[in-house]
Amino acid sequence: MTEPGPQPIDEDLKAEQERRLAEVWATPRGWRYWSAVNNSEVGIWYMMTAFGFMLFAGVLGLLIRVQLAVPENDFLSADTYNQVFTLHGTAMMFLFAVPIFEAVAILLLPALLGARDLPFPRLSAFGYWCFLIGGVFVCGSIFFDAAPSGGWFMYPPLSTRDGGIGADIWLLGLSFIEVASIAAAVELIVGVLKCRPPGMHLNLTPLYGWYVLIVGAMILFAFPPLIAGDLLFELERAFDWPFFDVSRGGDPLLWQHLFWIFGHPEVYIVFLPSIAMLAMLVPTFAQRPIAGYSWIVLSAIGTGFISFGLWVHHMFTTGLPSISLGFFSAASEAVAIPTGIQIFVFIATIMLGKVVRSVPMLYALGALAIFVAGGLTGVMVAVAPFDFQAHDSYFVVAHLHYTLFGGMLFPLVAGLYYYFPIATGYMLSHRLGIWSFWLMFAGFNIAFLPMHLTGLLGMPRRVFTYAADLGWNELNMTSSVGAFIFAAGFLVFVYDVLRPKGERDRAKRNPWNGGTVEWVLNMPPEPWGARCVPKIESRYPLWDDPDYIRKYDEGRFYLPDAVEGKRETITTTVLDAKPVQCLRVAGPTWITHVAAATLAGVFIFATFHWWQLTILSGAASLAAVLYWLWTGTARHPEKDEKDIGLGVTVPLYVSGSSSTGWWAMFITMTGDLTAFLGLVFGYFFFWTIHPDFPPAEIPGPGWIWPLTAFLLLGASWALTIGARSWNRAGRRLAARLALVAGPLLAVAGIAALAAGPYSHNMDPTLHSYPAIVWALVLWAGAHTAAGIVMQLYCLAGSLAGKLTPKYDADICNVTLYWHFHGFTILVTTLIIGGFPLVS
Amino acid sequence: MRTEDHQQPETGHETGTDLWRVIAAPSIWAVHFLVCYVVGAVYCEKAGRSVTLLPVQWIVGFATAVALALVALLIRSLWKVRGRSVATQNYSFSGNIPQERHRFLSHVALMLCALSIAAIVFGTIPAVILETCR
Repeated sequence: MTEPGPQPIDEDLKAEQERRLAEVWATPRGWRYWSAVNNSEVGIWYMMTAFGFMLFAGVLGLLIRVQLAVPENDFLSADTYNQVFTLHGTAMMFLFAVPIFEAVAILLLPALLGARDLPFPRLSAFGYWCFLIGGVFVCGSIFFDAAPSGGWFMYPPLSTRDGGIGADIWLLGLSFIEVASIAAAVELIVGVLKCRPPGMHLNLTPLYGWYVLIVGAMILFAFPPLIAGDLLFELERAFDWPFFDVSRGGDPLLWQHLFWIFGHPEVYIVFLPSIAMLAMLVPTFAQRPIAGYSWIVLSAIGTGFISFGLWVHHMFTTGLPSISLGFFSAASEAVAIPTGIQIFVFIATIMLGKVVRSVPMLYALGALAIFVAGGLTGVMVAVAPFDFQAHDSYFVVAHLHYTLFGGMLFPLVAGLYYYFPIATGYMLSHRLGIWSFWLMFAGFNIAFLPMHLTGLLGMPRRVFTYAADLGWNELNMTSSVGAFIFAAGFLVFVYDVLRPKGERDRAKRNPWNGGTVEWVLNMPPEPWGARCVPKIESRYPLWDDPDYIRKYDEGRFYLPDAVEGKRETITTTVLDAKPVQCLRVAGPTWITHVAAATLAGVFIFATFHWWQLTILSGAASLAAVLYWLWTGTARHPEKDEKDIGLGVTVPLYVSGSSSTGWWAMFITMTGDLTAFLGLVFGYFFFWTIHPDFPPAEIPGPGWIWPLTAFLLLGASWALTIGARSWNRAGRRLAARLALVAGPLLAVAGIAALAAGPYSHNMDPTLHSYPAIVWALVLWAGAHTAAGIVMQLYCLAGSLAGKLTPKYDADICNVTLYWHFHGFTILVTTLIIGGFPLVS
Repeated sequence: MRTEDHQQPETGHETGTDLWRVIAAPSIWAVHFLVCYVVGAVYCEKAGRSVTLLPVQWIVGFATAVALALVALLIRSLWKVRGRSVATQNYSFSGNIPQERHRFLSHVALMLCALSIAAIVFGTIPAVILETCR
C-alpha cells in the first residue's frame, strides 16, 4: 500500500497537475458559458430557476391572500382567481419543490461524494433546459389568460370538459418537465450507487446520499403513473377517447388514483431530500456524529416504502368502501413511525452535542417545530371520519402548508445557508439570516395557524370570496397579514443571496468545522471540483484524520492529475466502493440545447394541436439525441487501463452491468415499466367497476393478431440477445444479420399489434374498452419503434467500427432495453388478446 | 481506524447483505398491502356494498400470516449475522471493511423487518374491525 507521508510533495509537479486540471475543467467563457454542463454551473442555474418560479408562485400566493383578506372582495375575478390558485399550487410543486431537490443534489452530490462530476453531465444539462422551457411555458400562460384553472390536481370531469387550452398546458407542460425529473433521478441514483469515492462503503455514505438514492428510486415509481395518467387525459381531451367519461364507460376516479399514486409519494419526494440537509448540518452544529446513523437510513427507507400506501387518503370522500379507506388510514398512521424516528434522531443529536448557535441551526429548529405541528394534523386527517369533516376545507390547506414549510422550505433554507460557501465561496450574513428567519417563522405561523380554525369553521378551499357574516373575516385578515410578513422575511433572504459580496464575506476553508468530505474543498471552490478523488475510511474523515486536508491538497489520493486532457472521475462497486473504472465524462456542448428545444417543440405544438409541427419537432429531437449519443457516448479510449493513483489500475472502458450506461438504462426502464403498469392498472380498473368488461357488445382485438405480434416481437427480442452474444464472440456478420432481421420483424410486430383492434373495427371514441386497448397498443407500438431505432443504431455502430467485440456497451444496453420491452409486449398481448377469453 | 480495505480493483461480485435484502421486508409489506387493498376493493365492487366481508377477512388473514412468516424467515437469517460476522469481537458497523458494511446493512434490514411487521399488523386491523362492504 502506498500510504502517503514520508516523501515530500514535489511542488512543481503539484502546480503542473493543478494547471492541467484547471485547463481540462475550465468553465467556458463569454456566450459559450451557457454551453457548460459541469454540475457546478448547471446546479446553480437549476437552483436560480427553481427559486425564480418559487418567487413567481409566491406572488400568486400573495394575490390569493389579497383577494381573501376581506369578504366579498373583487380584487380578482373568479376565473382569474382559479388560474392563480391553480398555478400557485402547480408551480410550487412541479417547478419548485421537486426541481429544487434535483438542483441541490446536482450541485452538491459530487462534492459529498468527492467526485469531480456526476456520471452524465450532459443529461443534467438537458434536464435543466427541459425544465426551464417547460416552466416558462406553464407559468407564462397566465399572462395570456390561458392558465390551467382546475386546481393543481386537474380533476376530471371539470378539467376534461374545460374549453380553453389551460388543461392542455398543464398536461403537456408538466409531462415535459417530468422528463427532467426522471433524467435527474437516473443521474442521481447512478451517482450514489456508482460514483462514490473508493472506500466509501454503503455504511459510510453520507446520509444525504442515502436520501438521494431513496428519493431517486421513489421518483421512478411515483412520476410514471402520472405520465400514464397525463397520456390518457390528453388522449381524452385531444381525441375524445373516453377514459374519464362515465357516459361511455370511463370513470373520473381513475384519474384520481393515477394522480395520487404520484401525488402522495411526491410529498415525501420533496420532504426527504430537505430533511437530508438537516441530517448533514445537525451533526456539524452539534459537533458530534449523528446519533443513530442506521436509524436514519431505516426511517428513510421505511418512509420511502410506506409513502406509496397512502394515496387513497386523498380520496376518503369519494365513496370507496370502508375497507379500502381502512387500509389506507392504517398505512397513513404507520408512516408516522419512521417519520417520527428521524425527528427523534435529530433531537437526540442536538441534545448529546454542544450546539453551536448559527443561522442554519435556527432554521433547522424552526423546521422541526413547524413540521411536528404539520405531522400531528396529518395524523388527524389520516383518520377517515375526521377527514370527512375537514376535507376540502382550509384545515387541509393549513396542514399541507405546515408539512411543506416545516418539511421542505425551512430545511432547504437551512441547507442553503449551510452549503452556500460550497456553491459560491462566500458566506451569507448572520445578521440578515436572523432577521429573515424570525420574519419568516412569525409570518408563516400568523398566516397558517389561523387557517386550521378557518377550516374548522367551514371555509372551503378554492373559493374566490366569501360572505361577511360567516365569522371568517378576522381570521382571513390575520392570515393575509402573516403572508406578507413571511414574504418580507423571504425577500431579506433573497437580498442576502443576491447582494454583492465583499472580502469580508469570503468563506474560509471548512467554515463550519464540518466532518464530512465535502468540506475538504478549497474556498472558493475550483472549477475542477475535487483536487483529487479522496479515499474514505470513516463517516467523518475531516474529524477523524487531522492530516486529511493536507493529503488532499497535495494530491495524495486518486486521480490528482489530468494527463490525457480528459474530464475524469472514478466509478466504484455498489456495496463496497471498490474502483471499477476511470470514467470519462463529457464536456461543454450545445447538443443538449437542441435536444431540449426540439423536445419542447413536441409538447408545445401538441398543446395547440399543430400536429405536423409536432411530428417534425419529434424527428428533429430524435436526430439530436442520436447525434449526441453517437458523438458523445461509449467512446473508445486510447488505452485499456489507467493508473489512478495509490497503486490502483482500472479499465477506461467497461460494458454491461459494470458500466454507468447500463445502470442508466436499467433505471430509466424501471420508470418506464411503472408508467406501463399505470396503463395496465387502467384496464383492470375498468374491469373492476363494470359488471361486464370487456363489454359483450363491443368487439375485442381477438387473440390471433396479439399472438402473432407476440411471436414476431419475441423473435426480434431473441435476435437482439443473439446479436449481443455473437458480437462478443467475434461473429460480427451474424450479429449484423440479426440486427437487420430484428428491426424487420419488429416492424411486422407493430403492424400485427395494430391489426388486432383495427381489423375488428374497435373505435376508441366509443367506449373506455376500445380506448384502453388502443392506448396499450399505442404504448407498445411506440416502444417497439424506439427499440427498432436502437437496433439500427447498433447496426450502424457495428458497420462504422464503433461497436466491436471489445467495445460493446451499446448492444448490452440495447439488449437490456429489449428485456424490458419483451416483458411489456408479453403483458400487453396477454391482456388485450388473452384476458377477454377468460373474463 | 482500520485500513484493511481492498486496494485492488475488483469487478467481481460482493458478498453479504446487499440492498435487495435490505428492501425485502418493506417489499413484503408492499405486496401484502396491495393484495389486501385489491381483494377488498374488487370484492366490494363486484358483490355490492351490503354483503359481509367474511371472504375478504379470510384472505387478508391468510395474507397476513404468509407475510409475517416471510418476515420471520428473514429475521431468522439476519439474526445469525450478528453472531457470525463478528470478526472483530464487537458489533460495530461504521468501519471501512466489507464485513462491517455487511453487518450494517443486516442491521438496517433487521430494523426494517420490525417496521414492516408493525405496518403489516396495522394493515390487518381494518379487516378485523369492519364487517360489511359499506
